[in-house]
Amino acid sequence: MVRLKHRYLLVNILYPGPVATPRGKDQQTLPDTIQFHKPTSDSLTPQMLMRLIRDGVAELFGDYGVGVVAGSLQVKYFSAATSTAIVRVSRAHYRLVWAALTFATRLPHPLDEACVMQVVRVSGTIRKSEEEAVRRARMGIRKAQSAGTWMWDESTIGQGHGNVGSEGGSVGGAEAGARPGIEDIEDDRSESGDSGD
Amino acid sequence: MPFYDLNVPWSTPNSELPRTLSFLAESYLIEPNADADVCAVGYNVVALNFTITGKLPTNFACAIPDPLPFVVPSKLTVLRRLTLVLTTPVNNAALTQLASSYDILAVRPVDEKSLLLAATSLDSDIVSLDLTQRLPYFFRFKTLAEAVKRGVRFEVCYAQGVGGDAVSRRNLIGNVQGLIRASRKRGLIVSSGAASAGACRGPWDVINLASIWGLGQERGYEALSEEARKVAVTARLRRTSYRSVVNVVYGGEQAAKSDKKAEIREKGIQDVQEKRKVHVLDDTSPAESEKPVSKREQKRRRKAELEKHAETKGSVVTPDHTKM
Repeated sequence: MVRLKHRYLLVNILYPGPVATPRGKDQQTLPDTIQFHKPTSDSLTPQMLMRLIRDGVAELFGDYGVGVVAGSLQVKYFSAATSTAIVRVSRAHYRLVWAALTFATRLPHPLDEACVMQVVRVSGTIRKSEEEAVRRARMGIRKAQSAGTWMWDESTIGQGHGNVGSEGGSVGGAEAGARPGIEDIEDDRSESGDSGD
Repeated sequence: MPFYDLNVPWSTPNSELPRTLSFLAESYLIEPNADADVCAVGYNVVALNFTITGKLPTNFACAIPDPLPFVVPSKLTVLRRLTLVLTTPVNNAALTQLASSYDILAVRPVDEKSLLLAATSLDSDIVSLDLTQRLPYFFRFKTLAEAVKRGVRFEVCYAQGVGGDAVSRRNLIGNVQGLIRASRKRGLIVSSGAASAGACRGPWDVINLASIWGLGQERGYEALSEEARKVAVTARLRRTSYRSVVNVVYGGEQAAKSDKKAEIREKGIQDVQEKRKVHVLDDTSPAESEKPVSKREQKRRRKAELEKHAETKGSVVTPDHTKM
């Protein structure tokens, strides 16, 4: 039985630009981590994301790219609150979609906000991507909380940019699953004889 | 393995820079007991790059202040780099003088002649070309291989290609492919050249781009981590060591390491000396060599050693071969 194999890319949408502080009077700015991972506006729908990816692939790889990718391209999960999406692509051509995401600089038209799409995990099953999304969301909350308490304890004003390193815990964060995940996948690809790297 | 980004441009009104550095260092802390070296989301070492075009400045001090005028993310190590655009001919003496106040030195050739010069004779750590222009020449294996053998690495900057301009993107991809082909996937490093946080990309995204452009995933990963680390380390050694003797620093583990080297060396010398002694004894007085060492003599020797050890405290005690 021929089975169509896919890759599920877990994508984070990061916002590098400055964010208007929620408390206007108080000059404290949000820590950079929270600014980068801020929630997406609700007007970004999974369909818009699909269109963004397809247009990106068309621009970079032309009709060939769209041809091989469009058949199995699907946004399986999208959460505007955590700015996370899980995109399904066929296993043979997931790098094209990954490149299209990397080259995306702005969100599509009504939003037009500068963004950076970062693929955080590539996995062969959607379950692993989901688990990773949940784990990151949890870490995000924990980090935001600790960053928040740091700010309030210190009660300093104008401490904008130095907060990234202040959270306790491990140094040099560990994407524990991702690297082995990608390598496993690479082995799998080479075994099945796909044309690869 | 930490990720390196060896090209973050430094300019004097640097309003974007703190945010860019924050973005590059950005990583979600996952499990506290996970391997802290594997950081797939952010960069660990960044080099601020100051570019000089045309005439060399008379002042050889570092243009990037120390300490930096803004808060730097604590997990990020910041190096200082100088890029010299080779519009005028430069000699090595001037280069070494300039380089001494920076951590890394890079040169940017503008044409084929300066590329040849940079690859074969100039004493720089990185050769960085502007790959978003149409280059009127091809890369040759001989030139690149010779450079790599000398320890010079070629740099690919991705930010301008990712920025959105189609022409620079096409040129970048074409030139990178030529570079990869001519260098046979060796001796390349990838860096951002990102003037703002919006031009930065995560390390694995960059590795994916490199693999699409022909470098392959393993080599791409090496280019971002191992090769870049080599550049940083060789650059430091070029400045702080003399004839491949690394400075011995007293301080915890490092002391033990250097002591071990000294110990092995001294042990080697001891062995040779011991062997020599035995030979001498054999030649001159066979009778004495047969006689075992008396207890008095042993005690005397032990005492002498203790005294020697007490004198040179902190250095290595060589093992006594007579006491088997």
